[in-house]
Amino acid sequence: MRVELSLFGAFRDLEPRGSVALDVDGERVRDLRVALEAHASARWPAFQPGLLAVSAFASEESILREDDRLPADGKVAILPPVSGG
Amino acid sequence: MSDLEHFVRDVSEGALDPAAALDFVSDPGFGGITMFVGKVRDLNHGRRVLGVSYDMFDPLALKVFERAAAEATARFGPRVRVHVSHAKGRLGVGDIAVVVAAGTPHRDEAFRAARAVIEAVKHEAPIWKQEHYEDGDSVWSEGCSLCGGDAGPSHEHDHDHDHDHDHDH
Repeated sequence: MRVELSLFGAFRDLEPRGSVALDVDGERVRDLRVALEAHASARWPAFQPGLLAVSAFASEESILREDDRLPADGKVAILPPVSGG
Repeated sequence: MSDLEHFVRDVSEGALDPAAALDFVSDPGFGGITMFVGKVRDLNHGRRVLGVSYDMFDPLALKVFERAAAEATARFGPRVRVHVSHAKGRLGVGDIAVVVAAGTPHRDEAFRAARAVIEAVKHEAPIWKQEHYEDGDSVWSEGCSLCGGDAGPSHEHDHDHDHDHDHDH
């Protein structure tokens, strides 16, 4: 499925548009993680796999776990480790 | 009147207002009012900081604020009023990044409620800070992973409330 992935924090530095469209082979969050890693490794020279490993995916409603289905509208955000306050 | 006020304010819309937060959590029946104000500090890990830029996934951040306040009400209520506000955009040294205030009938619940809410904001809300240094370099702060236990990736560290982040206030 097609996913429009919003980027935050350190991921914004990799893609100035702040989002990336990905074709995901599968319907689970773990499939999106695989697709993003492939895209990032191919397109983003400064990409650090370790950052993706500690980053979560989320909808506007909640954090998504690896076995969760991707939202039907295809809108997902990637959340690197947070540092608010 | 709601017992929760929570919002994100872009720096272009003005500074956060601690006095307004105190007003919101005040009530004739509340003898205890506490507030946490987080400001941008001028030094972090020995590097001179000129400012901090906050990035945020607003819709989910607001849900985290709301849930944290609801949990505080469940734990320390029923009579609790909570304010949470966070700045978004670039702030300078001394500018206010976050305000949490709690009002309750007595002081103990007010302190505990405010502490619980600010810890949730720091550890669970999708907010990121990028520090800008005197030498021109900028770095995204390390933080708390939201991956949980089932994602393969694990938490970078546990969530005891006394650990120190890169730019804890």
